[in-house]
Amino acid sequence: MQTSLAEAIIAAAMGYGAVGLAIGAAFLVFGIGRLDGGAHGAYAFRPLLLPGLALLWPYVVWRWSGGAAPGFAGQRRHRAAHRWAWIGLAVLLPALFLTALSLRTPVGDAPVRIAAP
Amino acid sequence: MSVRYGVVGWTPAKRWYDAVLLGAIALYLVGYTELAPMLVPESRALDGQSLRIKAFGSAAFLLLTFALAIGPLARLDRRFLPLLYNRRHLGVMTFALALAHALEVLGWHFAFSPTPPLVAALSSEPGLGTWPGTPFVPFGILALLILFALAATSHDFWLNFLTPPVWKALHLGIYLAYAAAVAHQVFGYFLAAANPGFVGVTVASAGLLLGLHLAAGLRGRRAPILGAEWVRAAAAADIPEGGAVVVEVAAGEPVAIFRNEGQLSAVSNLCAHQNGPLGEGRVVDGCITCPWHGFQYRLADGCAPAPYTEKLATYRLRVEGGEVFLDVRACPPGTYQQPVPA
Ligand code: HEM
Ligand code: FES
Repeated sequence: MQTSLAEAIIAAAMGYGAVGLAIGAAFLVFGIGRLDGGAHGAYAFRPLLLPGLALLWPYVVWRWSGGAAPGFAGQRRHRAAHRWAWIGLAVLLPALFLTALSLRTPVGDAPVRIAAP
Repeated sequence: MSVRYGVVGWTPAKRWYDAVLLGAIALYLVGYTELAPMLVPESRALDGQSLRIKAFGSAAFLLLTFALAIGPLARLDRRFLPLLYNRRHLGVMTFALALAHALEVLGWHFAFSPTPPLVAALSSEPGLGTWPGTPFVPFGILALLILFALAATSHDFWLNFLTPPVWKALHLGIYLAYAAAVAHQVFGYFLAAANPGFVGVTVASAGLLLGLHLAAGLRGRRAPILGAEWVRAAAAADIPEGGAVVVEVAAGEPVAIFRNEGQLSAVSNLCAHQNGPLGEGRVVDGCITCPWHGFQYRLADGCAPAPYTEKLATYRLRVEGGEVFLDVRACPPGTYQQPVPA
């Protein structure tokens, strides 16, 4: 990766995080009590939420501005998702090992003298 | 539960759990950084910071493996159940260890250049094919970002705020994080083979996890019951006092049939909190207690005791000649069912 691209990615991530921190902090002070009854009169846990709010701030803005929470899908679907995740890992992990093995340069061979002294 | 939030829903068991866990991690880290140097010959000795990089990285990976192994372990053998209660803290600690690992890396490999360490870390990846060759740092970064997202959204607030389906979908990311961590290790490490011991540990960990899940998955498929509305679910004698048997029903959720003080009650096996396997829990103080985070439900109507408001679907039962029959049609959550003596 080029240095300039790396710098751009890091700057973008920092900008995103800074906006998120500001929005998250405002949400913790003004928004959370309105959206979640469990937060009424509870303050100690709020700073714990800040990293997550900074990460997911577009969703925070959406919910705070009155957007609906996503609808509920069945519980069975989720169990099936776990099963598929494991089947995926059962294929992926061995594939990773084999790829790494095939890329591996032999090390630890005995040194070979290439010309007599 | 739907009551005022705290920082952590502490219980004495959770404090013990965390204390033991922190102690074990500290022992591992100290053991690695203090004892490992004595085991390797002088010629291969590492400086303290390289040791810490390895100690934190391997601790994060082993803890992640452990966290993912607990689920199937508890399903295979109930004695592992207590480990499930507080699994959330394992995830947060895994992230903390991985972060410490990454910070040590930044402060070592990328410390002595005019380029800022983060920029250097992203931009100095070697091309494919040259040793250490395959880009492995991006896989580590991916794993760390996912672990961060999951740790940052682990408080119960997030389950409500994101809603359970979205929260659960997000937390499926743990599997991607695991695969990325494995890729990070095998591509960084396997190729260099500078630490063959840890190559073995990585392969063994991943193999163990896959094996455990396969075994638990096969076991969960036992006793599928098909067809009619009333089905023979179990022999009454098989249902332990204070515990349950779980019945897989052809269409719909699995059902847990509990025995408490000689009477049977049936509820959905899925906890209203995060789908924890209620049938693997026990009856505590007259309430079904979820093995995952301890939500409680009354046996007869599936309602959490006040001030909580969660409700489970209940099911009708009948006992004839020592056999328990179950009506597989779920009643609306919170419907009262007279417990059946058996
Ligand atoms: C931003 C994220 C990460 C970066 C930049 C990073 C970078 C590195 C680097 C440069 C090494 C080679 C260290 C050396 O041999 O001196 C390494 C090794 C390793 N990393 Fe990471 N890593 C990251 C995340 C992770 C995560 C999330 C895990 C595990 C969950 C992890 C586990 C390991 C392990 C087990 C090793 C091998 C340790 C050993 O040498 O025994 N890393 N990492
Ligand atoms: S208490 Fe969390 S899943 Fe049951």
